[in-house]
Amino acid sequence: MVKAYINGTGCISPQNSIDSEWFFDDVNPAKGDYFDAIEPSYKEFIAPNLLRRMGRAIKMGVAAGNIAIQQADVKKVDAIITGTGLGCFEDSERFLLAILNNDEQFLTPTSFIQSTHNTVGSQIALIMKCHDYNFTYVHRGFSFESTLQDALMLFAEGKETILIGGIEEHTPNFIILNRKAHKFQVQNPDNPIWKSTTPGIQLSEGTAFFVLNKTKTEKSIARVDGIQTLYKPKTSDDIWNKLQAFLKLHDLTLSDIDVTLMGFSGDVNFDSKLQELLPAIEKESVAACYKNICGEYHTASAFAMWTGTKLIEKQSLPKALAISDKSPSRIKHVLIMNQYLGINYSFMLLSQC
Amino acid sequence: MDALIEKLKGQIIEQLNLAEVKPEEINPDSPLFGEGLGLDSIDALELIVLLEKHYGIKIQDPKDGKTIFQSLRTMAEYIKSQGKS
Repeated sequence: MVKAYINGTGCISPQNSIDSEWFFDDVNPAKGDYFDAIEPSYKEFIAPNLLRRMGRAIKMGVAAGNIAIQQADVKKVDAIITGTGLGCFEDSERFLLAILNNDEQFLTPTSFIQSTHNTVGSQIALIMKCHDYNFTYVHRGFSFESTLQDALMLFAEGKETILIGGIEEHTPNFIILNRKAHKFQVQNPDNPIWKSTTPGIQLSEGTAFFVLNKTKTEKSIARVDGIQTLYKPKTSDDIWNKLQAFLKLHDLTLSDIDVTLMGFSGDVNFDSKLQELLPAIEKESVAACYKNICGEYHTASAFAMWTGTKLIEKQSLPKALAISDKSPSRIKHVLIMNQYLGINYSFMLLSQC
Repeated sequence: MDALIEKLKGQIIEQLNLAEVKPEEINPDSPLFGEGLGLDSIDALELIVLLEKHYGIKIQDPKDGKTIFQSLRTMAEYIKSQGKS
């Protein structure tokens, strides 16, 4: 079974994750029912002549990709694979609004060019002068998972170094429309995200990039052992049975998992199966959450993978993520159990290397 | 003419998202493409749309674009020559 080594990471999120020293301290709360990403000064990462045409998703993706590449200290990669649920939403909106507002006339090319989902991957490729494999997955709640799956398959075909990332942005219009549809809620601070009894997520945005290597190097921080996706499992038992099989495939049981990062979104309609599984997870592993600090979006699993990598690197479970008082004595294996809208479930297994 | 040039500066900055450029930094006689503002072919399309949207001018022959978009002043002169300022 092909594994991959994480040699560099870059993450822009509602937290100060852009700072490589940040380790889940001084956590920013949501702005009511949504989170905004904390964006860096992009001039440090992107040339001004490129910057002026880029929407936020592109800027966030290019910057995070740049940080990951710098950390891994690589000059070239063999493939660039990105995943996004909504793509470059800001530019899509701009282009569509121009069509409406100008009666289908005076359409300019820039926002249309920048609105396509593969713009982030292609901009990184142009900057890196990478003419190799370049692919973008737009698979809703499996978008980032698909990038990771593809990377593992490419390693099996002989690629050595691959840049992968998940990207999502929201816009004021998107927030207004979904709020009207009652998709969001302000989380009750007295009711933790994993115990939610009410519907509504906290919408968010962000990007996380990873330089993966087929072989271990001195830069390797953690190892990706495997990934599995589950589409619309009917019951929590279905998830449990798949999880047992997934762990068995890697010669592990749940008791070997030091931290299980669970994708509670705060919406009881989507979290109920994970809520049912929580006691069994807590019995054998240390359960933790992450969407209480990164919010919910199509590629939140990329933030989860960044979080898991950090836990392995620092060998500590920060209080901001903890569900109980239990703390792991070491962090050798991290299991990520993500879910998106109760439809897309995934397991990702990270290990110390 | 000066008032039109100033107006064009603001419109170009907005249309081309030149957030880093201040109107007073644009020399009306500097080339718009290559040197000067360093615009490119995508910007040329944006400028064509700008002329049509704000001044009702359609450039019929694309070859004329090279002369019209040489500088801010040539753009302003062209708009004036079309009686659209």
